[in-house]
Parts: sequence; structure tokens; C-alpha cells
Amino acid sequence: MTITRDTIRKVVLERGKAMEHLMLILRDLETLSGNNQLTTKTLEEVAEEMNLPTSAVAGFVGFYTMFSYKPRARYVIRVCKSGPCNVMGACTIFDAIEKHLGIKPGEATTDGVFFLEKCECLGICSVAPAMMINYDLHGNLTEKKVVDLIERYRKQKPAVAEASGPEVEGRECIVKADGQTKRLTGAIGAIDPLKIDSYLGLKGYEALKKTLKEFTPEQVVQIVKDSGLRGRGGAGFPAGLKWSFMPKGDMPKYTVCNADEGEPGTYKDRILMEENPHQLIEGMTIAGYAMGSQTGYIYVRGEFRRAIDRLQLAIEQARSKGFLGSNILGSAFNFDIFIKEGGGAYVCGEESSLINSMEGKRGYPRFRPPFPAGSGFQKRPTTVNNVETYASAPMIILNGADWYKSVGTPKCTGTKLYCLSGKMNRTGLVELPMGTTLRELIEVYGGGMKDGGKFKFAQVGGTAGGILGPDLLDLPLDIDQTIQAGVTLGSGVVLACDESVCAVDFLLNVLAFFEHESCGQCAPCRIGTSQLHRLSRRFAERRADEGDIDRMIGKTMVMKKASLCALGQSPVMPVTTILKNFRREFERHCDSGHKCPACDKTLRRFYGTA
Amino acid sequence: MSKSPDATLVQAPGVTLTIDGRTVVGRKGRTILEAALENGIKIPYLCYHPRISRTGACRICLVKVNDTMFKTACTEPVAENMKVVSEDAELAAIRKDILEMLLSEGDHNCLYCDANGACELQDLVKRYDAQMPTGEFPRRKREIDEASSKGLKRNEDRCVLCGRCVKACGEIQISNVWQFTGRGSKTHLTSGLFEKIGDSPCVNCGTCSQLCPTGAIMPQLPLGNGFNWELQKESSICIYCGVGCKIDFHKNKEGMLVKATGNGDGPNEGHLCVKGRFGFDFMQKPTRLISPLIKENGEFREAAWEEALDFVAGKLKKIKADSGPDSVGALASAKCSNEDNYLMQKFVRAVVGTNNIDHCARL
Ligand SMILES: Cc1cc2nc3c(=O)[nH]c(=O)nc-3n(C[C@H](O)[C@H](O)[C@H](O)COP(=O)(O)O)c2cc1C
Ligand code: SF4
Ligand code: FES
Repeated sequence: MTITRDTIRKVVLERGKAMEHLMLILRDLETLSGNNQLTTKTLEEVAEEMNLPTSAVAGFVGFYTMFSYKPRARYVIRVCKSGPCNVMGACTIFDAIEKHLGIKPGEATTDGVFFLEKCECLGICSVAPAMMINYDLHGNLTEKKVVDLIERYRKQKPAVAEASGPEVEGRECIVKADGQTKRLTGAIGAIDPLKIDSYLGLKGYEALKKTLKEFTPEQVVQIVKDSGLRGRGGAGFPAGLKWSFMPKGDMPKYTVCNADEGEPGTYKDRILMEENPHQLIEGMTIAGYAMGSQTGYIYVRGEFRRAIDRLQLAIEQARSKGFLGSNILGSAFNFDIFIKEGGGAYVCGEESSLINSMEGKRGYPRFRPPFPAGSGFQKRPTTVNNVETYASAPMIILNGADWYKSVGTPKCTGTKLYCLSGKMNRTGLVELPMGTTLRELIEVYGGGMKDGGKFKFAQVGGTAGGILGPDLLDLPLDIDQTIQAGVTLGSGVVLACDESVCAVDFLLNVLAFFEHESCGQCAPCRIGTSQLHRLSRRFAERRADEGDIDRMIGKTMVMKKASLCALGQSPVMPVTTILKNFRREFERHCDSGHKCPACDKTLRRFYGTA
Repeated sequence: MSKSPDATLVQAPGVTLTIDGRTVVGRKGRTILEAALENGIKIPYLCYHPRISRTGACRICLVKVNDTMFKTACTEPVAENMKVVSEDAELAAIRKDILEMLLSEGDHNCLYCDANGACELQDLVKRYDAQMPTGEFPRRKREIDEASSKGLKRNEDRCVLCGRCVKACGEIQISNVWQFTGRGSKTHLTSGLFEKIGDSPCVNCGTCSQLCPTGAIMPQLPLGNGFNWELQKESSICIYCGVGCKIDFHKNKEGMLVKATGNGDGPNEGHLCVKGRFGFDFMQKPTRLISPLIKENGEFREAAWEEALDFVAGKLKKIKADSGPDSVGALASAKCSNEDNYLMQKFVRAVVGTNNIDHCARL
């Protein structure tokens, strides 16, 4: 369908003329286009209707990989090539599609039905390898399954309810094993996420009632401080302390939930949002009360349609029951929540980049100071927390700080959602006390290494995380002890790799990710990520010399010291830890005669060489 | 362009800090870089420019704060008792590394670059002894658009993505023609909606070219070229309108004016419009009129001033006599001085005898 001026006018009117609505306006129009293309004519008219400079729209579209102003096709197939999917055989999925449809990434079938793209983590890593067809997610892919799915779409697009595969459903991505300490995930399965009554039947919104009746905002902050709750997005900053930074006073203040969940291997937030959306809404409302804020936003990555739909429904239900809106439960407290969406950019999980993205801008991180608590969304005081962090608030209020602290380690209290992926017999989400060891995660909950393979290493914390060899199998995985060991817990990713995984191939994948996801704003990261990717490719191609190992480390050091945000400061961790563990393997790859089928496969698939 | 964008800050209270062991006074709300520059300490920078908002992207101005932290001097506010190290072996090495990264990203060959000798990147490369790229990192090809616009040339292979042009256009000229697009290592500029400059909404004010630290955006040079170090600069006031922008005219060895740039001390604070920046070529063009022309039988012929003025005076008298003074009217020019304009209206009212006098600035 060609997009008419009238359609654009209508969409802009519906979504709102302000720049902050650009993402949703473009998403609507792209869907309406029928061929996943936003033509320059459409973009020009959007700019006119919204009274924006055309360059702002051009800059926006160019930043978010989910959009394209170049022609695509009726269905865009995005195949994930991030860490977990790569380890689980993403290459074979590309092979299968090329064999079946005759297209490579960046190409469309001649009939204009399918367009293939490679993409980074889709957030369903326990069912890797995975792909997305338009907005429908599919996992546990095999060559046969891919072909079947493609043919199903060719005949007819599946109805919305069944659009994403059943294996992707949140509750299906939880490891069914006893021995877990189910707090955040306790109600999952028992709750119907589409019905607020079902949440209310399990003490839902009791914590909010208690908060409004019994506590002042300062007391809520104090309870959260006492509980020891630390941010679950990756940096582990104490949540209560962060809330206390918000200035007092009547100005607009924003409570923002970071549901961008882009760190490869992470899928916990999606499960929490899909299966128990009210828990998050209640947690944010309590946080809003504690910070004197009137408005909440949940920034959900655009790929998570099911989570977005369920959250939207839950928000409406909460409004109609008086848990959101004016004078909540008869108190003087007003609070409402709105959803913002992402457009395919890992860096938008960085909180200041997320704020720019919420404003309808390119997701460039901001320098600090000013910090978000001083000047965040629309230059107003803003607090950003992860989904898991906010979702922990209701149970802390209901059961008290001491109860919360009763599990975990002294400085890292409570439970942690660990996201298992990679070469284990069982992958999925597990909820365990902070400080569970890698060995326990793999052997007990992961059911051991896949098909009896031998553990080689695990990447913990996501692509930005470190590599743990067998020597760290007994390291308690909490926020501080990982840092002391030179690695990080990050968002709780555990990607296990066996002997079949080549360390060089693995690092190449990591560094390709960083080059692709760097925002490009600051010089050391924009150029550094590109050069690191190139250097690691030299090892994969067996053209490197041993000096390249130290050159890689040197580059990551400069990036660590000089980059503007934590993305550019990250590669140092995976690079140095993998080189510490597998330096010999990298040295072997300096020999042009060295055989490495894993590297050969990657080079052939993604680099058109070897 | 040297004036502070915010005069109120000049009165801000003082903040005492040390830079490289020297005690200096900065002003509250201002940055380490501003405090350093005001005190003659030359912290290097690329993306910073006093006329635009803070950017913090090139990371060249990185300094050490309180021994432990690396901060960009251009974004970090001064604080009481702050201890800043602006340069040591480690910082110099970082700067050199970043510069070498920038060199390898583009096509930075001074030999054929218009900015040679007037390039902030080149200055820093010299200062930190950055070396030529080895070629092992293939560079990104970006847009080269040297002909679509009458005012500007764009060679993005010389761009360091500092973002000064984006802000020059967005914050000074408020035209918002430039923006970044793409992402990561594929980031590049767009003018308008992926257009050539000449097809974009650009009004050719040229402010971006003046703020560009390299040769990525250059003004078209209508009257010939010259080596930057040979150019002689003379300041003057723009002849076009009543704002009276201060302009630096640059003359080459042959005495030709090759470019005009805004001078920061004038009311324009360094800014110019298309006329001030580009409208000077007529002065030295061979087609410039140097004597009056009178049209006879459809053809122009040269005439002496005496003859031409007598001719005009005769015609005016005749029109006044035949059709009355109100059939004559005059439009004065904004290019003339107040005194000239005063005389013009005096002439029209007192000599011609009509009130039909107006001025182009009112149109
Ligand atoms: C490149 C990058 C990506 C990030 N992605 C996420 C993310 O997807 N989700 C998240 O909650 N935090 C992410 N973070 C961390 C956020 O910046 C921020 O610290 C976090 O949302 C704060 O919430 P918390 O204190 O509850 O953890 C990311 C950080 C960086 C540097
Ligand atoms: S470190 Fe990377 S992601 Fe962060 S601002 Fe710099 S270029 Fe962007
Ligand atoms: S001048 Fe400070 S980062 Fe560019």
C-alpha cells in the first residue's frame, strides 16, 4: 500500500504531533506500508506534519535498525546472530534460508515476499537459534522448522494470537526444576496475565494499598534502602539510594522502566512483563510514590510485541480499577504509566540513550553531569530502573526488608533471575539466591552440558560480560564477587560453551556485535569497535600475528578510559578475559596452516571469505 | 567566533581549582575547558566550540580529575578544590591513539586538502605526533558532494564527526539542515533527507564551514585559491544590511579575495548570512560595472558620470513638470549609510516635492 498524506495526518493526529511520538508514528506507517519500507516521500511528509526538520527524521530512521527507507518486502525475516544464537547454530539457519529462498542478508526474493536481515539478540535466547518474521518471534529453529514457517507465512500471515511460536511464551522459557527460590517468578503460571482479577487474587496491589496507607514516601525509600535491593539492569546500583537522589518538590518527575533488554542472552524482563505485567505496574507505582513522581514510562524494545500488548492491557485494567490515575485508592497520589517503544538499538538500554530515544531522537548517550535525577526525560528529574528492580518493590513492601535480605549474600540481597543459554541440556530462566555458583547453575538447573559435552567456558553478564573458565566454576555469582574476580554479573546471563566452540570465533562474534551497536557518537568507541572487529577477524582468517593480541588489549584500554558511555568501556572485559583464558588458541590462529572449521563457517557465512 | 554565548555566566561566582598544579579561578556552571582557556592553559579539543552547546564526543579534551577519574574537560563543570591534570604521558598517549584512530577512519591527506594549514585536526596531529595510518583498517567511504551547492563543498571523507556543523546549523542558523544518520562505524552526515546540499533546505549561510575543524565542509572559492598560510586577513563591516556584521576578508598572494569569515567581535559574534559570506565576488569580477550605461535604441553604451547624471536629472524634471511631483518615487538602500539615506529623503521631499520615499529594509 502506498502511504497517502491523509493516512500520515491520521496517524500523527492519533499518536500526537510532538517529537517524542516519532517512533510509534513510524512504526504504524511502516506496518501500513505492507512492504516494510518508509519511503523518503513518506518521511518528508511525516516531517511536515510533525513540524520537524527533515534531517531529524532522516537521522532517526538511520539510527534504528528496525526501520528502512530502502525497499524491503512483505515479510522481513530477521535471524539473530548474537552470542547465544551463534553458539547454537545461527549459521545453519542462514544456510537453510539461503537454500530455500535463495537470498542472503540484505536481499529480497524476486516476488517481493521475503527480505532477509541479520540482527542482534531478540531476547528469546533460551530457545536459540531464533528469528523474527515481521514482529513474530520464533525459536528452537531447525532447518525444517524454518522452511515450514516460511511456507506458512507465504500462504497466509498467521492470526495475531498465534503469531509468535508457543515456545517463545514466557512461561515456557522458565526452567522447570525444583529448588528455586521463587519470589519474582512465584506467581507465574498461576496468574492469567490478561486478567487483573487473577493478580488481585494473589495479593496483587496489596503492597500499593499498604504503601499509601502506612508509609510516607521517605519511609518507602528507607525500606528499599534497608532491603539492600540493587539494580538488576547490570550496574547494581542501590535502588533506594537512587530513588533518594530525586529532588523534592512539585515539578514533573518521571519514573522510567528500562525494558529494552538488549544484552544478548537476557530475556528475564520479557518473561516478567508477559507473565505478570501487574507486578511491574505495581512496583513502578510504589516507586513513583516514593519519588513524588506523577508519570511513569516503560520503554520496551520494539521486538517484544506480546509484552507490549499485555502491559497495555494491564495498564488499562489498573486504570479502571483505580490503581493508576488520579487520587489512587482514595489517596492524594496521582500516577499514570505509558509505554514507549524501541526501534532496534542495544545502546538504547543505556539509560541516557534511552531517554533520548524516548524523546524521539537518535539514541545517543548523554554525557554526565547532568545526571538523569537532575535533568532526564524532557530535561526533568528522571529515575531509570530495570524491570526486575521495580518488580521487586511490591514484595519488599509486603514482607519487609528483613525478609528480602534473608536470601542472597550480605551486600547483594534477594534473588536473581539467571538467564541460562548455550550448550546445556536445559536452558531457561531460573530464580535463585544471589551468589549461586556457575557450577550449580550448569549442573543442577541446566542439567549439565549438552549431550555430555565438556565445559570450556561461560560468558556471564552478556556480551559485555567476562569469560569464566573452569577455574571460576565455583565463584558465587553476585554483583561484587564477580567484579573482584575481574568479571561481572551484568544482567544475569549465563551462556555456556563446550569444546565445540572456538574462542576466536566467539570473540569475533562479540566484537561484531559491539561495532554494530556502538552509537557512533564518540571517537574511541566508534572507531575502536570497528578496529577491534577487524583485528579479531584477522585471527579468524589466520592472518594475524601475535602482536595483534596486545594491540587488541591496548585498544580496549584506550576505549575504557576515553569512551563516553559504558558501551565503549565494555569490550575490555570480554577481550581481556578471553585472551587470558585462551591466549594459546589465539596464538594457534596466527598460523595460516591452522585448521578451524568453526572460523571457516563464520567467515563464509558472514564475511564472504574462506 | 570567540564571544561567550551566555553573558549572564560571566558574572557567575568564582570557583577555585588547580590545573596542573596552578591555582586558577573558574566560574560556577562553566567547564574545566573554559576555565583552562580563560587562564591560558591550552587543553586540546575538536568537538568543542564556544558558540555551540556542549558535545563531549571527540574525547580529545580528556583530563584527569582528582587523580582517579578521566573526564572530558569540555563537559565537566568546575568544582571547588578540584584537582585537574590537563596533560601527562598517559593523557598524551590517549590523545595520540584517538587521533590515529581518526586519521585511519578518513582520507586525511593534507597535500590536496583545502584546509591544509588551517585545520584543527592537523594542528593536533602535529602536537601529539600522530602517525599516518598503516592502511590495515579499511576506511569508510562517505559522501563527496562538491558541486551541488553554490556555497558549500562537502567531502565527508575528511570528517571527524565532531558534530559542530550539526549544531552550527541547528543552534546558530536554526536551519537544521545537517544531522547525523546511520549508526556506529557507519555514522555519517545527512543534509536534509539524504539529499545533496544543493537540494536540501540549506540557505548557504556557511556557518557550518566556518566551524568545521577540518576540510570536510568548505566554502566554494569563487575567485581562486591560495595557501592558507599566505592569506592576508583584513576586517571590515558587511555592506549589505543594517546589522553591520564584522567580516574578515582573506586575500591571496595575487591580491584576490578568496573567502570571508565572520569575526567574533562584531554584533554577529562570528555568524554571517549568505550575502555577507559569499556576496563579495562582484568586487573583483571583470563583469563588474565600472561606468554608467545609457540605453539608446535598445543598446547600452558607456557614458561619463557627468552625462549620465545630467540625463537622469533632465528626465526627473520632465516627469515632475508633465505629471506632477507625486509621479516620482524613490527607494533607498540598506547598503547606504544613515547619512546617505537622510540626504535621499531630503532630496525627494525638498527637491522633488513628494513624500514617495521608502527603504528596502521595510520591504
Ligand atoms: C550499552 C548498555 C546497555 C544497557 N542495556 C540495558 C538494558 O537493556 N536493560 C537495563 O535494565 N539496563 C541496561 N543498561 C543499564 C542502564 O544504563 C541502567 O544502568 C539501568 O537501567 C539502571 O537500572 P537498575 O539500577 O535497576 O539496574 C545498559 C547499559 C549500557 C551501558
Ligand atoms: S561509548 Fe560508544 S555507544 Fe557510548 S557514546 Fe561513545 S560511541 Fe556511543
Ligand atoms: S572537545 Fe571535549 S570531547 Fe571533544
